[in-house]
Amino acid sequence: MRVHRTLIVSVILALALAVPAGAVAKRLIIGGSTSVLPLAQKLAAAYHKAYPHIAEPQVQGGQSDIGIEGVASGRFQIGDSSRNPLPTDPHGLRFTKIAEDGVCVITNDSNPLPNLSEETVQGIFTGSIRDWSEVPGSTISGPIDLFDRDNASGTQDAFQHIFLGEEKKISPSATAEASNGLEQNAIAADKNAVGFVSFAFTQGVHAVDYNGVACNLPNAKSGQYAGVRNFWMVTKGAPKGEALRFINWVTSGNKTTKSIISSSWITIH
Amino acid sequence: MAVGVLHRPGRGATAGIDQQRAVKADRRAELTLGALGVGVLALIGLMLVTVLINAWPSFSANGLSWFGSGGEVVTQFRAMQSGTPLPGHSVLYFRAWPLIWGTLITTVPAALIALVVSTLAAIFLIEFAPASVRRVLEPVVRLLAGIPSVVYGLFGILVLVPYVNEHLISNARKASVEHVVQLNGADLFTATLVLTLMILPIMIAISAGALSAVPPAWREGSAALGVNRWRTMWRVSVRTARPAIAAGLVLATARALGEAIMLSMLSGGRPFAANPLDGLTFFFEPVQPLAATIVKEFGGQSGGPVASTIYAIAAVLLFSAALLSLAAWAVKQPLKRYGIGA
Amino acid sequence: MASVAAGERPTRPPAIVRPRREGTATWPLADRICHALCWAVGVGLCVITIAIVVFMLVKGITYLRPKLFIEHPAPAGPGAQAKSGGFLDPIVGTFIVTAIGIAIAAPAGIGLATWLNEYGRPRWLARTVESAIEMIAGVPSIVLAIFGLVIFSRPFLAFLSQPGATVALSQSFIIAGIMMSLLALPLVFTATRESLTQLPPRLREASYALGKTRATTIRRVLLPSPQMRTGMATGVVLGMGRIIGDTAILTILLGSTLKNEAVGHVPVWGTLRGTGSTLTSYIYNNSPAGEGGAPQKAYAAAFLLLMSVLVLNAAVTRLTGGQGGATRLTRIGRRALLTGVGGNG
Repeated sequence: MRVHRTLIVSVILALALAVPAGAVAKRLIIGGSTSVLPLAQKLAAAYHKAYPHIAEPQVQGGQSDIGIEGVASGRFQIGDSSRNPLPTDPHGLRFTKIAEDGVCVITNDSNPLPNLSEETVQGIFTGSIRDWSEVPGSTISGPIDLFDRDNASGTQDAFQHIFLGEEKKISPSATAEASNGLEQNAIAADKNAVGFVSFAFTQGVHAVDYNGVACNLPNAKSGQYAGVRNFWMVTKGAPKGEALRFINWVTSGNKTTKSIISSSWITIH
Repeated sequence: MAVGVLHRPGRGATAGIDQQRAVKADRRAELTLGALGVGVLALIGLMLVTVLINAWPSFSANGLSWFGSGGEVVTQFRAMQSGTPLPGHSVLYFRAWPLIWGTLITTVPAALIALVVSTLAAIFLIEFAPASVRRVLEPVVRLLAGIPSVVYGLFGILVLVPYVNEHLISNARKASVEHVVQLNGADLFTATLVLTLMILPIMIAISAGALSAVPPAWREGSAALGVNRWRTMWRVSVRTARPAIAAGLVLATARALGEAIMLSMLSGGRPFAANPLDGLTFFFEPVQPLAATIVKEFGGQSGGPVASTIYAIAAVLLFSAALLSLAAWAVKQPLKRYGIGA
Repeated sequence: MASVAAGERPTRPPAIVRPRREGTATWPLADRICHALCWAVGVGLCVITIAIVVFMLVKGITYLRPKLFIEHPAPAGPGAQAKSGGFLDPIVGTFIVTAIGIAIAAPAGIGLATWLNEYGRPRWLARTVESAIEMIAGVPSIVLAIFGLVIFSRPFLAFLSQPGATVALSQSFIIAGIMMSLLALPLVFTATRESLTQLPPRLREASYALGKTRATTIRRVLLPSPQMRTGMATGVVLGMGRIIGDTAILTILLGSTLKNEAVGHVPVWGTLRGTGSTLTSYIYNNSPAGEGGAPQKAYAAAFLLLMSVLVLNAAVTRLTGGQGGATRLTRIGRRALLTGVGGNG
């Protein structure tokens, strides 16, 4: 009998703990673009530092389409997107712009291309230029290893629109990487590689000038560099509750957010 | 075994009650533990049912041609993710042949090579190795078995892949297939090599165990007839232990089939049906086996066409695992004849 | 050869002639080739394995610093991961997942093995349960992982992870631990069952003769006996080895956040509900296959993992009587000796 009583009491206790633990702490879950990821992580950490009683929002990747889909299905409260809204996106979503970012064409450090023109970029990425010996300014030779992103990537969308236009498509034989980080790693590991990443991911690889303009923050801010795109935070309908508080804080243009955003990205507030 | 509750001499009215209480306690214990067993069964049943239910949309939309070929797996997944179906097909359109082919051409060669190597190694361990070498080889096999697959993957991706990329794949070879697929070091060759290394220990352990359990009288009789050690081993011991070696092969194949992490790191980034007609380049083309596809395509989806396809792949894996379990059981039956453990 | 004439006795006992091992010089060519092949394979296997392990250990030692053990992983910007943070969280994470897994698998495995061996009625149920556990052993861990994903994303199970709007997040330590226990269960079950069958019947008979019930016999006589203790310990250690080595379940069910992020403010339960990382998922993430791009950290973490595998292997060796030990090796002991703490996926 004693055994039974202990069992019953412990079960009741466990349930008693579980129920409030389940109800309490609606922690903000943010997910989506891998380009926005480093920015969102820094913002989340600073947000928690500014308001210690609010749990630090949890930030995930997955690429822009996953973020948008996740918001629509309720997995995330806030989705990150590095591409503009498309007509094929789910209905009822609200996009709030938080920053601007640049996309660089990158090569391996042992192939420091000084510059790429628009036609060369299009030739390389559509697959009509196959060998490094055909690329002016290249110091190496050998077949070009092309790196692309998954179709869920917002960076791929941005690259498509800005560098290739609407007609030309990236060659299907390119290796598709699932995030900026993976793309950066892959290109850093392969001498013959070329691809594209967001600004914040250009360490360890060589960022190539585009049409004579260097791919860096000042040029992007001044508007000289062409490859600039928007960062959005997506919510289902107008932001509410915790999500509203966070987005308001991010877009308020206060000192903390301004210094975080301007470290590798372009502020808009 | 009889339930051992003898009549306990108690005092007066309590005599029967002691006995009843003891029997009741016994019943309670049996029922509780039996409930645990039923719980395990329920869990397996739940797993089968859940996977099948979630996989059903993908299977029903594609029918038997789910296993066939047609188009690029990458484009099919992209269509599912964006929600815009490919022209002329439903959004669940999927042809898994490149993945199935990838699984076959990594698992089967690995199993066959491991079979040969492990039998030779087991014979070496049991018969030819001097005691000092055996003292080294046994812990080595144990160590090989214990290395986590992610460490194999790390070694492969940081050492083997660059090596293969630099030294074994020439630029000409890369250029020859460039319009279809890109070659880096992560390919069929690297993946199969490391996979063989991973499944060797299981087979060596089981083969060695079975070889050493062959009745010594048989080996001694063969030696008495003047047969040399190798022939004795081969004709008597290995022949007797054949069912155990087969069981080991099945076990190792099951492990190779389920290996997801190491293969996702080493087999190349593209679900590509490597073409044997390409000659030697065939070995350097990327593949993506079924289990690795689940790891790659999992994006945290909780529903929708991508999730359904992933569960369909899992259902195929589950089914193959069940088949292999059945095969292992069937193969072990002859062992009972000789009382050889495996 | 000493000739023994009638009546003569040999003055010294004949010298012990240890039979020389049969040389291969007289063998046919085919057999000699096979013999050489066996040697080549045996020695080659040793060399390759030792080379790989030594390489990993050396690389790991080069990058291992004491401060890595006490620092939390820091979300540095991309490319700077190599210089920041340690792996305190992954180590803690490994402990948590292993502890939860064993806490569930050990009692369940021992209970099931006991029931099967001592009670085992009805017979059809016993056979089915046995086959079911064998099936669980054969299921790839990635399938277990996505099975767990489906089950635990039901909203009423959200207290085990975090609630979302329509489905639960279904990624947390406790969920990963529960699915890991399924990995360890067959190992504990087999080890316990083997030991139970090896117990001499006189233990049970003596206990019953004294009038004890079956349940009491199990609890007081069988389970505490030394052979059972060794068998159960072997099973538990093998299970731990399998859990520590698995990555597939973790990539799907543990959320791959750098630090162990707790959910809510309840102290221990919050961490269990939260996401995090373990050594294996940390290695995966820091390898070129993951985002971290810090192979140095991956090497260091791999070193830790290899060390724990070596320790667990040594534990199994001691438990099962060691190499060439005088104790008779049970079947599980012999297999454990050679397979060590092998794992899946």
